[in-house]
This record gives sequence, structure tokens and C-alpha cells, in this order.
Amino acid sequence: MPVLLSARDVRYSTEGDHGRVVLLDGLDFDVARGEVVDVSGPSGAGKTTLLRALAQLLPDATGTLSLASETADSMTPQEWRSKVALLPQKAVMRPGTVRDNLLMPWAFKVRQGATAPTDEKLRAALDGVGLGEVVLDRDAARLSVGQAARVSLLRVVLTDPDILLLDEPDASLDEVSAEQVATIIREFADDGRGVVRVRHQRADSIASRRLRLSGAQLQEVDGR
Amino acid sequence: MTADAGVVVIGWPQLVIAMLFMVFVGVLSIRLSLGLEKDLAIATARTYLQLLALGLVLRYVFDIDSPWLVVGLLLFMMAVAARIIVKRAPDAPRGLFTQSFLTMALTGFTVTFAVTGLIVQVEPWYRPQYVIPIAGMVLGNSMNGIAVALERIFADLDSRCDELLALVALGATPWEAAGPSVRSAIAAGMIPTINSMAAAGIVFIPGMMTGQVLAGVDPLAATGYQIVVMLMISAATAMGSVIAVLLAYRKRFSHDGVYLEKGRERAR
Repeated sequence: MPVLLSARDVRYSTEGDHGRVVLLDGLDFDVARGEVVDVSGPSGAGKTTLLRALAQLLPDATGTLSLASETADSMTPQEWRSKVALLPQKAVMRPGTVRDNLLMPWAFKVRQGATAPTDEKLRAALDGVGLGEVVLDRDAARLSVGQAARVSLLRVVLTDPDILLLDEPDASLDEVSAEQVATIIREFADDGRGVVRVRHQRADSIASRRLRLSGAQLQEVDGR
Repeated sequence: MTADAGVVVIGWPQLVIAMLFMVFVGVLSIRLSLGLEKDLAIATARTYLQLLALGLVLRYVFDIDSPWLVVGLLLFMMAVAARIIVKRAPDAPRGLFTQSFLTMALTGFTVTFAVTGLIVQVEPWYRPQYVIPIAGMVLGNSMNGIAVALERIFADLDSRCDELLALVALGATPWEAAGPSVRSAIAAGMIPTINSMAAAGIVFIPGMMTGQVLAGVDPLAATGYQIVVMLMISAATAMGSVIAVLLAYRKRFSHDGVYLEKGRERAR
């Protein structure tokens, strides 16, 4: 499969309690079309930092990023982030309804001229992650933690990015919901796009490759 | 101190007697263990010294009657106001003093000379008797508005830092992500002024009008000035809050639009 996202010589260090800590030490990293890449590693190893660097959300990180041979420098940071979309671990709902939240990305200039999904499409998407009973007019503040996590995943999936960067997408989900979320992620990748997941949980069946981040380096993990 | 017939002049004996108010407050503080005696003593001493100094400086400036002196005094007042603003926003990013000073200067000069030039039409344009008191009210009120608005913008942005990350990750620009905080901060800066306009004349007699009436001016003449002053103050507060917040919010974002948390920004 052709490479979709490519990162070269990604470096990042930060001020820790005992001086400078190197979290990413010249990482090279590729995601091919159709791949779901899992990243694991000890807490504090820099997994979230890696996702933020890939999404250009880490101002002091250095390295070369490109997406299907287009370099990150050739577009605005907002354009890059709309194509390489990070979903932070903590689901955040803005005041308003579930519909307001799902349509929020279309209020941004970067999607000017793009058509926002219809109610029908939104309802189908909710149905797909086991949220069929949630009406679009529900106050988003009244969603449970697990429901909000799935709505925020849908919010980013519906924007149709090329790469999804997911920070523990199933951490707050029960087994059934986690399976539904995994299905959505797999379908997303099968459509010729790529996914990077940071995960602590046991391997599931959808990962194409598994990497381990420790000592500021990435290593392939053998087997499933 | 001269006065028209019927106006009672406050002299040294009256100022000493007025001290009794502070003795009363001091006793209250001691009996209720408020621990404010020292602050009260310092505040009282400052009130006497600063206002007497102000009286002397104003008399001097009125006598000299020089445009340079007037503008210099205004710039000094703006610098002090900017310093007070910075002190009141401890979590503020660097460079806030310069920004606040420029905001005060823009607001102060624009609103003050709009009033003295267009409405009161003083001759010459710098006539200190008009320009300085009006600038004082403009600067004092917009300083308060700006300080409240800045406190609010930084606190609000920090409380939304998870949300700001999520919004920026979805492609939002700093303006799109910070919008709700910017609006609420500007409103917070303006609300005290709007409230005081609503209560003026019913709940209290505004300070400037009180002063003019006590000094023997006809109440209706004082009313005209007071109305102009209230409208001018609300314009100054609005202008100051808007400029200050618009300049300040962007400092919490990196050049590529990422929200920088409080601690990170200061370490840079």
C-alpha cells in the first residue's frame, strides 16, 4: 500500500522536573493507506506528544511532515489539521445540542464552501456507534462520558480527514461500544485512509501494525 | 482656595476632623479582628498625600499652561494605569505593559480630545483645566474595564484549554477557538459601567456632579457635564476593553495557532 502520512526526524524535548527531557528523538514514521497503526508504551513516554506533533499541535517540535507527498509547509496549519485530524483523549462538548456539536467543524473558515452533513447523515452516523437513541436536539451537556466520547469521534470522522489520530478512543467505553467504535475506525481505514491509535488496552483485531514508544524511540512490536 | 458666596471651603481644620472617620473604621477593624489597621493607615496617608500633591501639581500645570506639560502629564498617567493593569493580571503573558500602555494611550487621547474638542470645544485645545480632569476620568474608568476584561480573558481561556485543543485540532483558527472567551471578556469589562449608568441619578449622585454641586455650580449645569462624562466613560471602557482583549488573546496562541497553556507560555 502506498504511504499516506510520512514523518521524518521528528524531535521534541521539554523541560521536566530534573532538566531537559527528550520525548521524541528523531523518529521516522509512516502510515500507509488502509492501515490502522497502534502505538503503545509506558505512561509519560510521549505517545500523546507524538500524536500532537503529527497534527502540528506542538509548536516546538521539529521534523518534516508530508501527506501523500504534499509537505506540511505547503499548506496552512489549519489545512493540515483538517486533513490530519487529532481527537484528544478528553471528549469536549461545546454548549448546545448534539447537532450543534457535530456540525461545529463546518463553522470554521478552513471548511468554507464545504457542505455540512444533513440530519439524515448525522442520524445514520449516530446509529453506527450505538447512539441511535440519542436525538440530535439533545443538550450535549446531558451526554454520558461514553456517549460524549463517541459523539466527538463522529464529529472528527464526519469531517472526512485523510488521517485520524486517536488518543485512547475506547478508554471510556464498555465492550459493546468499543467494538462499534473499532468497526467505524476499520471502515474509515478500508476507505483508503490511515489511522494512528494510542492504546493501553489489549490488542484488538483491527490493528494492521503495532508500535511501541519508549526511550524516545519507536519500535515495531512483533505479532498481534 | 477661593469660593463664591455660600460655598464652604474645606481647610486644614476640616481635613483633620475628617480623620475621625478613619479612626472609627480603625477601631472597628481592631474590635472585629479584621486585621486591616495597617492597610487603613497606609490608605489614609496615601489619600491625603496623593490628593494634596495632585492639587499642587494641577495648580502648577494650570499656571504654566503649556501643551507639552499637559501631554506629558497624560502620558505619565497612562503609564501608571498600564502598570496597575499588569499587576492585576498576574497570569498575563509577557509584553502586557507595552500593550496596555498603547491601549490606554489610544483610548485616552481619542476619547478625551473628542470630548474637549468636539463637545466642550475648549480653547486652546490643551486647556489643562478641562483636559486633565476629563482625561483622568477616561483613564481611570477604562483602566478598570481593561483590568477586568484581561483578568477574564486569561482565566476563561485557561479554563477552556482542553476545548481549545479540540477546536484547534478540528481546524479552528485562534480567533474561531477563542471567540466565546473574547466576547465574554469584553462584556465583563463593560458591565460595571453600564450598571453605573443605569443607577446614576437614582441610586447615587455621580462623583463629578457631587463635586461640582458642592463647589457651588448650578445643578442643571452640572447635569449637562455629568451626562457627557457618563457617555464618554462608557465609550472609553468599551474601546479600552475591546482593544486590550483583541491584542491579548492572540498572545496565548503560538504563531501556528496552538493554544499555549499558562505555564508553557511563561517558560518560553
